[in-house]
Amino acid sequence: MSFIEFKHINKKYANAERNSVTDFCLTIEEKEFIAFVGPSGCGKSTTLRMVAGFEEITSGDLYIDGKRVNEVAPKDRGIAMVFQNYALYPHMTVEKNIGYGLKNMKVPAEEIQKKVDWAIRILGLEEFRNRKPKNLSGGQRQRVALGRAIVKNQKLFLMDEPLSNLDAKLRVSMRNEISKLHRELGSTTIYVTHDQVEAMTMADRIVIMKDGVVQQAGRPMELYENPVNKFVAGFIGSPQMNFYPVTVKGNQIQFRDGNQMILPDEAAARLGGRQGEMIMGIRGEDIKLDEQNLKLYSQNRQQAVVENAEVMGNENNLYTTFGGSLTVARVSKYELKEIGDTIEFVFLPSRMHFFDKDTEERICV
Amino acid sequence: MLTKKQKGINWLLTVGLLILSLFFLFPVVWMLANSFKPDAAITADMNTVAAFIPPAPGGSFFDNYLSILTNTNFLRYMVNTLFYAAILIVCGVVVNGLAGYALAKIHFPFRERWVLLILLLQIVPMETIITIHFLMIARVGLLNTVVGYILPMIVNPFNIFLFRQVFINLPDDVYEAAQLDFCSPLKYFFTMVLPMSKTVVATVSVFTFLNVWNDYLWPSLVFTSSNLLTAQIGLNSITSNENTTMGQTLAVITMVTIPVIIIYSLFSKQIVEGVTSTGSKEG
Repeated sequence: MSFIEFKHINKKYANAERNSVTDFCLTIEEKEFIAFVGPSGCGKSTTLRMVAGFEEITSGDLYIDGKRVNEVAPKDRGIAMVFQNYALYPHMTVEKNIGYGLKNMKVPAEEIQKKVDWAIRILGLEEFRNRKPKNLSGGQRQRVALGRAIVKNQKLFLMDEPLSNLDAKLRVSMRNEISKLHRELGSTTIYVTHDQVEAMTMADRIVIMKDGVVQQAGRPMELYENPVNKFVAGFIGSPQMNFYPVTVKGNQIQFRDGNQMILPDEAAARLGGRQGEMIMGIRGEDIKLDEQNLKLYSQNRQQAVVENAEVMGNENNLYTTFGGSLTVARVSKYELKEIGDTIEFVFLPSRMHFFDKDTEERICV
Repeated sequence: MLTKKQKGINWLLTVGLLILSLFFLFPVVWMLANSFKPDAAITADMNTVAAFIPPAPGGSFFDNYLSILTNTNFLRYMVNTLFYAAILIVCGVVVNGLAGYALAKIHFPFRERWVLLILLLQIVPMETIITIHFLMIARVGLLNTVVGYILPMIVNPFNIFLFRQVFINLPDDVYEAAQLDFCSPLKYFFTMVLPMSKTVVATVSVFTFLNVWNDYLWPSLVFTSSNLLTAQIGLNSITSNENTTMGQTLAVITMVTIPVIIIYSLFSKQIVEGVTSTGSKEG
C-alpha cells in the first residue's frame, strides 16, 4: 500500500475565482523523495500545506499511512516540517529549539539530551548549541530547522522551499546535506521548490504543477527526456529547451524565418504522418557543432551568427537567432566561439520534440 | 557628514533644550530639597537659591519622611498600590494580550470591525464608564473589595490595540512550527508570543503601573475601608489634614513621585519602542 495517497484533491479559497489546486491525484511510496516543482502560484505550497494540515482540503481525500487525515490536526499526522523562513523560536537557543518538540511530547530529559546531541552532531552545530537564532547565519539557521525536524523521528518530512533564502554556494552544500539526511533517516520526504535544479538533483520523483494542475509526475530523467507538454519541456532543464513554430510539409520542416530542414526518419516516425503547423523543441546540448555530427547529418546543416556567449568553463552557452526564435546551443570548451562568429550546426534527430500548436501537448504516436 | 553650520545648529539646540529642561526640573528639585527641611527653614529659604539646595544630612534630615511613615498609614497605602499594580499587570497582560492576539491572528467574522469598535471605546470619557462600573460592582456586592477594584480595570482598549499591532507582525510559520512541536495554542501564547513581544509587554506593564499608581477617582469610589486605600488617596488625606506640615506634605509628594520617575527612566526605551512599533505596517 502507498504511504501517501492524494485522491482527487481540490483546494479553493473563499472568494477565489478558481481552484488553487485542481484534481490532484498522486501516490507516494514509503522512503520516497518527492519534489513538487512549478512557478510561483502553481499550488505546490498549498498542496504541501494541505498535507501538513495547515490548509483545509475543499474536496477529495488524503491518506497518510493508510489513514484518512482530512480532519486530523497537524500534530497528529506524524509529520515534521522545514519552513522557507526557518520558523525558529527566536528566544530559544539552538539546543532548546531542537528539543522543544520532544519536551512537549513528554520524552524523558536524558533521551531528549541524547537526541538533541545526535542532531547537533550530525548537522555540525556543536559550536553554536547555545546561540540564539539571531546570532546564526542563514545556513546555520536552516540546519537548526532541519535538526528540529529530524529529532522527532517522524515518518514524513515536509520541506517548503527550505533553501530559497540561501546563497548559491550554500544551497549546493545544503542540497547534499538534505539528500544525505534523507538516505540516512529513510523517511518519506515531500520537497517543494521553484528551482528545477534542486528538484532534479535531489528527488526520486518530480511532480510538475501549473495553475494548480499536475502537468507530469515522474523520475527526473523521464521528465527531462520525455516531457508531456511544452510547459514541462520548458520548465525542466537549464537553459530551457529551444522552441520553434514550424510547418511540417511532406518531409520538410519549414521554419518561420524561411530556413528549411529535412524531416529525419526518426522524427517522422514520432509524428506518425502528422502534417501542418506545430512547435518543435530541442535542448541546447542536442544542437551539435562537432565535425562528426555535421558530417553525419550533412543534409540538415544550418548556420547562424553567435550573438552572445555565456562562458562557464566546463559548459558554455552560445546564443543565436534561428528559425525566428532565440536559440541556445550548449557546447564544450573545445567548441567555444566568439560573438559575431558564424557557426554551423545540426539538430540531433532523435532528440527533436514536437508539440501541438494549440494544446501544447507532445505529439507522439 | 554634518557641515560646520549644521553642527553649530545642533549645538545651539542642545544648549537650548538643556536650559528648557531645567525649567521642568525646578519644581521637582525644589520639592525634593524642601522635603528634608523643617517648615521654618522652608519659609526662610523660600525666595532664595537655597530653596533648591537640600540641608546637610544630619539628625533631623529624614524627620518629615519618618513622621509620615510612622504616624500615618501611608506605607501601607503604597504597598497596597504596588500589590494592585502587580495583579493588574499580570491580569492585564494576559487578558488584553489574548484579546490582542485574537484580533491579530485568529480569523473570525467582522474581525476588523471589532478592532474599530475597540478603538472607538477610547473616545468615551473614563468618567462616563466609571459610573456604570460603580453601579455594576455595587450591584454584585463587591464594593470595598480588592476584586471589585481590580475587575473593571483589567480590560484596557488601548492595551488591546497595542498588543494587536505588535502581534500582527509575528510570523505565522512560527505558530505552525510550534503546532508540529505539540504546542497547544495557549502554551504557544505564553511560551512563544509573550517572550517574542517583550517590548510591548514591558510597555503595557509600565502603562498599567502608572495608571494604577496615579489613579484617584476609581479607588476613592470603590474603597471605604482605610486598610485598602491607595497611595493617591493617602496623599490626598494626608495633605488635606490641618496638622500636616509643609515639609511632611513635600515628603509624601516625593514618595508618590519617585516611583514614577524611576519607572520612566528604567523603561523609557521600551515605552518608546512599544508605542512606535504599533505604527508599523501590517504584515
